[in-house]
Amino acid sequence: MLTKFTRSSALTLAIGYVALGVVALVLFAAPLWYAWQVTVEDGRIELIHEDVQRFVEVYERRGESGLADFIEQRVSMQIAGERILMMADIAMKPMAGNLPNWPNEVPKAPGLYTVTLDLAGHPTRVLLQRAVLPNGDTLLVGRDLSHLRPIENRFWVGLAVSTALLCGLGLFGGWLVRRTVLSEIDTISRSVTAIVHGDLSHRLPISPRGGEFDSLSNTINRMFDQIEQLVHGVRNVSNSIAHDLRTPLAELRSRLEEMVVTRPTGEELHDGLADAVEDVDRVIGIFNALLRLAEIDAGAQRSGFVEVNPAELASRAAEFYRPAAEQRGISLDFHDAAEGALLSGDPLLLSQAVFNLLDNAVKFTPANGHVRVEAVRVGDALELRVGDDGPGIPDDEKQRVVERFYRGDRSRGSTPGVGLGLTLVSAIARLHGGRLDLSDNHPGLLARMVFVPDGQAAL
Amino acid sequence: MKLLLVEDNERVSRFVVKGLREAGHTIDHVENGRDGLFYAASETYDAIIMDRMLPGQIDGLGIIETLRQQGNRTPILVLSALSSVDERIKGLRAGGDDYLTKPFAFGELLARLDALVRRTQAEAEATHLAVGDLTMDLRSRKVTRGVRAVALQPREFQLLEYLMRHVGQVVTRTMLLENVWDYHFDPQTNIVDVHISNLRQKIESQGEKPLVKTVRGAGYMMTAE
Repeated sequence: MLTKFTRSSALTLAIGYVALGVVALVLFAAPLWYAWQVTVEDGRIELIHEDVQRFVEVYERRGESGLADFIEQRVSMQIAGERILMMADIAMKPMAGNLPNWPNEVPKAPGLYTVTLDLAGHPTRVLLQRAVLPNGDTLLVGRDLSHLRPIENRFWVGLAVSTALLCGLGLFGGWLVRRTVLSEIDTISRSVTAIVHGDLSHRLPISPRGGEFDSLSNTINRMFDQIEQLVHGVRNVSNSIAHDLRTPLAELRSRLEEMVVTRPTGEELHDGLADAVEDVDRVIGIFNALLRLAEIDAGAQRSGFVEVNPAELASRAAEFYRPAAEQRGISLDFHDAAEGALLSGDPLLLSQAVFNLLDNAVKFTPANGHVRVEAVRVGDALELRVGDDGPGIPDDEKQRVVERFYRGDRSRGSTPGVGLGLTLVSAIARLHGGRLDLSDNHPGLLARMVFVPDGQAAL
Repeated sequence: MKLLLVEDNERVSRFVVKGLREAGHTIDHVENGRDGLFYAASETYDAIIMDRMLPGQIDGLGIIETLRQQGNRTPILVLSALSSVDERIKGLRAGGDDYLTKPFAFGELLARLDALVRRTQAEAEATHLAVGDLTMDLRSRKVTRGVRAVALQPREFQLLEYLMRHVGQVVTRTMLLENVWDYHFDPQTNIVDVHISNLRQKIESQGEKPLVKTVRGAGYMMTAE
């Protein structure tokens, strides 16, 4: 846990914040300290000046001996050491005061000094003023600096303690942040690992708080939805390829095997071989459709885009299909409500998409049914619609019929096809910045290819 | 016909050479681009079958471009595994006359070669087409069978015109799709057959001789015999 902490980015963060805190504290304390120093110093100097002034006044009123008496009187009232008071004559012989003899540490000239004096055996820092009286006597007035030391000490101790507290609290906070953040990240990481190991249905838990981690989890979940769908698609595709290719290959095999056994000759041999070639063509057809799909998905065909008149294109496709529909007793109408709208696209691919929709419609609509092809302008969007009154597609299958090789229960086995038609239509619509939309035609199926200008149609 | 095949794949070559010889054509076969260019430029052929991807410094499209720059107008059918519309357009832009993607049916190849060679032979502007007692007036767009006038939809007219222009030749469903409807892809349906059958009903009334024959595994052929 500790090594994890020291390696974690949360520690770096905590240290950074602590350092910032200390800097802030110093920035706060330094001016205070300076102000304190200045105030105290000025106060002291002021006091000393006042004292000197008073002694000079006493001298002027009562003379030299009066001052000496006054000084002795003051000294006897005071606590020793708090104040230094001394009066000496011209020969520097002490006349009055609380020092046993003249301190040699004091410079000769009159002025204000900070010196260390030996007071009753203790070296003490004092601030003192040396002044000369009109008769030549020297006066020494001073204050002990040491009595403020405890306050200063307390200041320093306070600063140290608050720094220590700041460090401690900062690191603790860092640890807390790390614990909560890491626990969230661990949850995400564990879930992702589970999903990577194959449990694709697993999703990240999302709390109702809706914080940053929840939105991250949400994004990751959406990514997994996509991946699951893709993996599912791939799995489905390989299953279906295997299934749908096996059938024609199995037929081919039995046909060839039969010929090996019966040894046909002449016309019969020719017919058998021609049938075998048709079987192979079916398989090749499936592969061609897959390749085409891959090509379209890769968007490679976009280079061949030209201006297309979708109504004309749909009308041509309808005209092409009409005989086949009529042969099955189905009526096929075309309706143009496109108001001459144009589309940038690949005419062949768009034709193929309409073909596939028509093919499905004609295939699934019963005799006497109706198929209607429309090119419709809806606001800015343009829609190519193919509607029929056949059995339609159940709602729960509408999404899936677009998947590669997916075939509805009703079509599997009973109707020709391999389940790539709508996949191709959807891919072609997407290549043109549109989408394929399947809905209920009451009754039947309504397939719409919706194209929106600037290709902003992706759900 | 005297034909040149430029193709490096052994199996495809054997299959094509054998089939074309059986169909009564003379065929030269070379396996790389350098020889291909040499033969195509020095001999006279009725048509050239050109693979796109070839060993030997120059590929199929390169040969075609060189030949066209030299003023050589021999019809060229491009063979390729590259099937997308873009690739087809590239092939035709380089100077190819037709484009066939692999894998292909031999019947398709033969029919297209026939159409290519006849096209260059009979490009003349005709105003009338006739097959047996079926006649088509291209100016007035009228069709008659014997003395009976035949009413056709515009697309049916185009379909019949294509068949009549290629009388005696096999035309495949893909050729019809490409030339009549301009659809250069395989819709994987039998719709062309339905159109042909509708056309047959109109031009071959009861008691009249059938003119459009179905060629099994290949397509259709219009013939007066």
